[in-house]
Order: sequence, then C-alpha cells, then structure tokens
Amino acid sequence: MDKQNKKRILQRINLCSPDNYLVLDDGQRIAADCNCSLLDIEQIALEHSIVPARFKRNSLSFHEQLRLFRSRVAIIGCGGLGGRTAELLARLGVGHLILTDPDNFSESNLNRQIFCTLQTLGVNKVEVLAHEIEKINPALTCTQNINLFNKNSITGSDIVIDGLDSKEARIELSQLCQKRNIPMIHGAVKEWYGQAGIDQAPNKLISTLYPKTTGSKAPPKVLAMNVALIASLQTAEAIKILLGHNSTLQNNWLQTDLLHCEYNTIPLP
Amino acid sequence: MQVQVKLFAFFREGRFIRKDKELPTGTTAGQVVDDLDIDREEVGVLMINSRHCTFETVLQEGDIYAIFPVIGGG
Repeated sequence: MDKQNKKRILQRINLCSPDNYLVLDDGQRIAADCNCSLLDIEQIALEHSIVPARFKRNSLSFHEQLRLFRSRVAIIGCGGLGGRTAELLARLGVGHLILTDPDNFSESNLNRQIFCTLQTLGVNKVEVLAHEIEKINPALTCTQNINLFNKNSITGSDIVIDGLDSKEARIELSQLCQKRNIPMIHGAVKEWYGQAGIDQAPNKLISTLYPKTTGSKAPPKVLAMNVALIASLQTAEAIKILLGHNSTLQNNWLQTDLLHCEYNTIPLP
Repeated sequence: MQVQVKLFAFFREGRFIRKDKELPTGTTAGQVVDDLDIDREEVGVLMINSRHCTFETVLQEGDIYAIFPVIGGG
C-alpha cells in the first residue's frame, strides 16, 4: 500500500474513531471503499493507537493489542484443548493462527470439543475451526494444515500450543520446538484432572512429565469443564509470553484437580 | 519410620489424598508405588520433599513423598 493511500485511510479512520476505538461497521466500510482488507484497515488503526472496538473490553493498551495482532501462534492438535485455545486466542485478538490436525470431528468429540456439533460431524477439525474463528475475529489470518504436524507446522510462530493427546507426539513436538527455540505451552487432561506448563529447552518439562518408562494408553476419559480450564490456562500463559509478563510456570508446572478443588504449582527439577 | 505419602490426580481415586505411613527402614519409592497397587507405567513424576526422585530412591524418616500420574489427553 502506498504512502498516500495509507494517509487517506488513516484520515477516514480518525474521522470515525474520536474515542480511539474503531467499530467493525466503519472498518468494513473503509475497507470496501478503499479496496483493501479489514486486516489492512485494523493494522493501520492499531499502528496509530486506535483499537478495534471489539477488543475494547480486553482492557489492554494499544501497544499490547498491536503486539497480539502481530503475533503468530501455532496450534498443534485442534481437538479439545487446541480448539478451545484457538477460540480464546481469536477473541483476544491474536493476529495469525496456524492450525494443524488431520482428524475429522466424530461423535465421541461432542462431549468436550468446541465447534463439534451435529452439523460438523465428519468434517475436518481445522476447516471447521478456521471457519468459526473467522466469525469471531474477521481480521484474523488463519493457516490451515490438514495433516500430521511436522517442522513446517511451527515455522515462523512465536508460540506453540500443545493440543496433542499422545506421549510420543508430545516428545516429538517438544524436540521440534526446542530446536527452534519456540516456547511450547503444554496442557493435558484426564477425567477431572489436568496439568499445564511451559516447555522450553532449559526446563525439560515434557521429558520430566513423560518419562521413558511410561506406556501409551487408550484415549482417556475427559470432562468438558476440565478441557476449558486447561485450555484457558494455556491461553493465559501464551498471552503472558507474547506480552512479556513473567510466569511462575517458567520453572514449575501446574497440577489441577477439579474434583477436590486443588491447584498445585510443582517445581521442575 | 514414618513417611507422609501424597497422591495426585486419579491416583487418589479409591486410595487417599495424603496419608502418614509406617514403613520399614530401607523402603524405596518404587516399593510404595507397588504396595499401593499403582502400575509403574502410569507414574509420571515422583518427588521427595519437593525434589524429583526415582523408583530406586530410599525413603527416610519424616519424608514427604508425592506420586503424580501421567496425564495424556488433549
């Protein structure tokens, strides 16, 4: 976009944002009039301290909202944890999500996976998720990978979300992330119980939680509110890293027990 | 000797959350796991007094011993 065009767009944005918030209707109208995308309009707005109005109640500064807008998060596994995390990140205003999962929604996913409905049974999870989060945040860029994850699934991402469900896959993803120095936000669930943490080269979270001696078991039973809890924790940790906040989970992991209402922070070795 | 054993997540079901146990001197972390009828393949992390240990670590009088399962769903 040339400088002149950008200046013209900014003038239009300023005219309809006296309170420094740009409502969706105005953004879309300016995009249509100027023959560009809503993403272009909101980018120009954010670069000039004007925040899209749908993020008003995030109560983040425009610097923080802009940082989220410029962030890329890779979500590996788009079932329970991955799907819910994608929804939350879209609502918060993360600009680019890279979604990876080869599977389709099946009936056994209805008890806990967001956007799994009677209408989406048999449809690929990544396709459904991309379609749904675009309805939440129309300026979001979404890369769809309908395949098992590989190094391309995380290339260029600032953060990786672990939405996987097997020990072997988690170890492989952890190794890929550590090689590229990308923090991986781990989460796992079973029945009423869960855990969350940040896997990074120095803390060896995944190799601590999944020692070689453990076996791989059948898919565990999982309750929906437990998935929502752990996905929320993963989202919070991702946002904290993106915004530069410290977290106790840099050196610990969190063990949750909804049945006994216990939340324990456990030190890593 | 007396040791406090703490169980986490689904290891609590049908067992306990924490319990003081009278154990013979020389008891290892792994023996307590076996006595509780916990499958070693289901164990993720073992800790004594907030420090990571192995099945072979020998427990001492007054230890607080925590057993965490592997949680794998997503």
